[in-house]
Amino acid sequence: MIEKKVLETLLNEALKTGADFAEIFIEDTKSNVIRVTSGDVTSIDRGNTYGAGIRLIQGLDEVYGYTNDMSYEKLLELVINLRASFEGAPKKSVPLGESKPFTYDIKRPMKSVSIEEKSKKLQDLSLKMKNHDARIVQAITQLIENEQSILVCNSKGIYQDDVRTYTRAVFMAVAQENGLMQQAFEGPGRYMGYEIFDVIDADKIATDVATSAITLLTAEDIEPQNMPVVLHNGFGGVIFHEACGHPLEATSVAKGLSPFVGKVGEKIGSDIVTAYDDGDVAGAWGRLSFDDEGMKTQKNLLIENGVLKGYLIDYRNGIKMGMEPTGSARRQSYKFSPTSRMNSTYIAPGKDKFEDIIKDTKYGLFAKKLGGGTVVPATGEFNFAVQEGYMIEDGKLTRPVRGAMLIGHGKDVLFKIDRVADNLEFGQGMCGSLSGSIPVDVGQPTIRVSSMTVGGSGGKK
Amino acid sequence: MYQSWILLGKEKGITDLEVFAVRNKSLKLSVYEGKVDQHVQSDVEVVTIRGIVENKLSTIRFENLSQTNVSEMLDQLILNAKALTVVEPAIIYEGSKSYPEVKDELFDFGSVPVIDKINLLKNLESKILENKKVKQVQSTQYQEIDTETTLVNSKGLNLSRHNTYAYAYAIGVFAENEDIQTAYDVKLAKTFDEFDADKMAQKTIDIGVKKLGGKSIPSGHYKTVFSNEMFADLLSVFTSIFSGESAYRNMTSLKDKVGKEIADKRFNLIDDPLFKDALFKMPFDDEGVACSKRYVIENGVFKGFNHNLKTAAIFKESPTGNGFHGSIAPTNLYLEPGQKSFDEMISTIKEGVYITDLVGLHAGVKQVSGDFSLQASGFKIKDGKLDHAVKMIVISGNFFKAINDIDEIGSDLKFTIQGVGSPSVSFKSLVVGGE
Repeated sequence: MIEKKVLETLLNEALKTGADFAEIFIEDTKSNVIRVTSGDVTSIDRGNTYGAGIRLIQGLDEVYGYTNDMSYEKLLELVINLRASFEGAPKKSVPLGESKPFTYDIKRPMKSVSIEEKSKKLQDLSLKMKNHDARIVQAITQLIENEQSILVCNSKGIYQDDVRTYTRAVFMAVAQENGLMQQAFEGPGRYMGYEIFDVIDADKIATDVATSAITLLTAEDIEPQNMPVVLHNGFGGVIFHEACGHPLEATSVAKGLSPFVGKVGEKIGSDIVTAYDDGDVAGAWGRLSFDDEGMKTQKNLLIENGVLKGYLIDYRNGIKMGMEPTGSARRQSYKFSPTSRMNSTYIAPGKDKFEDIIKDTKYGLFAKKLGGGTVVPATGEFNFAVQEGYMIEDGKLTRPVRGAMLIGHGKDVLFKIDRVADNLEFGQGMCGSLSGSIPVDVGQPTIRVSSMTVGGSGGKK
Repeated sequence: MYQSWILLGKEKGITDLEVFAVRNKSLKLSVYEGKVDQHVQSDVEVVTIRGIVENKLSTIRFENLSQTNVSEMLDQLILNAKALTVVEPAIIYEGSKSYPEVKDELFDFGSVPVIDKINLLKNLESKILENKKVKQVQSTQYQEIDTETTLVNSKGLNLSRHNTYAYAYAIGVFAENEDIQTAYDVKLAKTFDEFDADKMAQKTIDIGVKKLGGKSIPSGHYKTVFSNEMFADLLSVFTSIFSGESAYRNMTSLKDKVGKEIADKRFNLIDDPLFKDALFKMPFDDEGVACSKRYVIENGVFKGFNHNLKTAAIFKESPTGNGFHGSIAPTNLYLEPGQKSFDEMISTIKEGVYITDLVGLHAGVKQVSGDFSLQASGFKIKDGKLDHAVKMIVISGNFFKAINDIDEIGSDLKFTIQGVGSPSVSFKSLVVGGE
């Protein structure tokens, strides 16, 4: 990596034309993806993301540039190009401080485990899915490993390094019967190395995914209707992520593009809703020790008993909003300028029991597993797909249904949450937004939404 | 540099290898409330090396181009290749007999002063804001991309291609009473002159104003018309079903359908790497295979899978020049337009829905089964004309059933930024989830 003195020189060069903030982000990421298809190791791809991103801010105006040529000459050329956007008296950079120690608690980093051991594990899991049922025609497992080393420094004296290790195991099964094909998926991920397999029950996940694909073969297409929806714990939290998490990011709030603008202290949901975004949950997929602006991550209270308590804020939007950053600045890589993003976002556990919520629902949909979703922050409209769902009839889970798509408004749905169970769990996903695709946890206990629009292709023709 | 890496790889014991280097230079600008909000310039070269060891092929991809790193990565390639348990055709290509020539002149967007590009966005923003129903312009964006691709391998192949293009758009936020809608229109361009702030603003305003006052409609079965862009978007998420890799992996229900009728007779799906209006023209794919025009579906009959070198060898067919991004992808895939204009198409529809927006394509589509269920908005069609705006509905169906259930294919072919093109298409019946 580049010497501290050189970085200081570049930061000072950057401030020569009036910029009042300069930042350099350097990254060297190693990744490895092993893919097993029905027991065969079919591909192993090695990758490396490497380069520097430089950001200059004057007032609220920002310029950003990046390159994978890390020679001093090239970086200086980039700095000179960038600072040409600004005019003003030169400023001086604060001398760079000492890097604070970051948490490194990885037990089995990528390098310490052989390709053979990893491959063997994936082959066993793939075969477990494949052999579950003769109707499973394809069983794919993948191990995705990323080790991101970063250094971020800025003209305010921040000088911080961090090493982030992310490991994800992907399970996918395809079932086929009478020409009909259905697929199921699960992708647990952790801020860990190979020890992820010590904390997840991989065998159970493999069996569950295979079972889910088989169940979908016999599921009926759901008939479109409005009804109560019970969203199960774990990945069910994607509803909160899409409908409320994104509109609470400063990216939307600073531009006035969120239904939650100016609502801090106001009631935005029912009394039983309390929610956090936590950047520092040990071992969590959405974790960072320091954020991508070099600030220590923290636990941010978003909603307490239905009252809005705060937003997720990065440095630049903090200036715009006149609020303090919350350790939420993230970016996919040096190819993106950082902005406010989520880490591990979840609805806090309530007092209800899962069984009681089902028992007390006369008619509705139990969304056991959700797929992905989208939200348009300006309108607050969101959608998300149900991967595995069951009808609830007279307080009992009856038939499996497929093809359900839930839609709604972020500002309505929080008020419509009428039951919150005590079984908080996290689910993992990749979240795409302005600063790229990043690992995040979504989480919640089982909740019930009193009414939602459910789309699907079933019903009378 | 590339040749020396090939030599180094050979020395390390790699039987054959290929360097595929992509250098991307880009400028991205965004204007918000009359000021530059985002200004991003970049210059990045990404190198992919495919190498064969013990008849097995593995891939490394890197951005640190230092000799030390390249050497380490090549060692890793060897380890990874050896760990593969399945022996599949591993091919480094000696080259096609001939390659098509791309005659387009490349416009140098870098020669236009940055201030002109900023002004384009400022004009676009202010022109949109002139409309009274516009609450704000959420963002504007201009991006120009210059891509140089080089392919060099140990079989003596040495190819290169170069492309430049730019695009610009603004997202307007429209409001009327309690209703808020966003609208945008992406303008793609091969020269800077093609950007016309007045026209672009008018287009965005037209789209946005019409969307206001939308309401849901009762759930049920409706005759459904997809706008050209929306059907192109739907097609683009289904391209994997035509991939030879999906066929080999049992991940497409078209596996045993080659030569069989899978769609309405008027359905012609074409992959044309050199299509005249396309943004990206491809003389060769990422494995050095010459690209050529082919029918994927002709008169409703499935003509065969898109192949890269590996899947072509597995199926004992010729590679189709579709080896892209380490996998298989179409070049410029488009649905051949029919005769009817949009107005003629809807003139016979007594009651139906016209879809102009689909949200959540990454989540609501199952490529394998063909099932889709998507948040949508658009317009109600009544007595042959567009009636009120429709929002917050879910449109559901099955892709494979739908392409057999086509009412009309329009004449208004349009390509999206994903490189997929379609005219407007109407279907006899799809399910709408609404009130």
